Amino acid sequence: MMEYNSYQKKIVPYLDGSLPKDEASEFEAFVLTHPEFETQIKNKQEEILLLKNLIPVAHLSKQSAESLKNEMHSSIFNLLKEEPKGLWDNVRIKWEEWINR
Amino acid sequence: MKRKDFFQLVLPLTEKLYRFAYTLIPDDLQADQLVIDGLNAYLLKERKSILRREIDLASKKETQLLKRALYKGILRSVCDIGVRRATQMNEHVKNNLPKDYTSFYALDPKVRFVISLRYEAQFSVEEIEEIVQMPRYEVIEKIHNGRFLLLNDLNKGVSL
Repeated sequence: MMEYNSYQKKIVPYLDGSLPKDEASEFEAFVLTHPEFETQIKNKQEEILLLKNLIPVAHLSKQSAESLKNEMHSSIFNLLKEEPKGLWDNVRIKWEEWINR
Repeated sequence: MKRKDFFQLVLPLTEKLYRFAYTLIPDDLQADQLVIDGLNAYLLKERKSILRREIDLASKKETQLLKRALYKGILRSVCDIGVRRATQMNEHVKNNLPKDYTSFYALDPKVRFVISLRYEAQFSVEEIEEIVQMPRYEVIEKIHNGRFLLLNDLNKGVSL
């Protein structure tokens, strides 16, 4: 019974991903031998699904996504300046800078 | 890593980053700006280590791991800046919260971010610890509290 209770307490951490890997494998092995546990896990999984529906999933329109990508592109271009390693690298960087003007 | 490799790895994350920014500030323009500011802060901090890093883009596994690391790094900056901004949301944003998500936006900004990382993007608790820079017990506490408050609001009740 003690063992049963301790595994019962592990359902949420197991679904949360907070259970250490070795304990998670142990838990999975226990569930295989105790089918009634599956119902409890299923209930918790439904709860998680419900939670997912309560979290907003914002979508960008094609135009907004393009515009945000362009802004990110400029940020990366301006802040991630490469140091040339030799003449050809210098030419490559200058070329990239020219086409990205 | 070359700048073009960074473009290739980070630009496909645009929409995902925007979603997280929106969980903190539910306003299109401000969420957009938060993504840019988070990226800028990350680049300013990590520029040298990014450029120093050797990468073989032919290796799928290595590419995936690096992409995940960059994603988490930028999310860390978005979280840092966004949580501060979300606590000072202006009246316009406060009065125009998305109607279907009022319970979600009633939560503390950091709880919102953690809950989204866990349930929306399915990051592990260890990864969330890394992103939000909080000890594990605090992450777990925020996940539990957020879950309880959200479900309680739906009169479902939850046993913690």
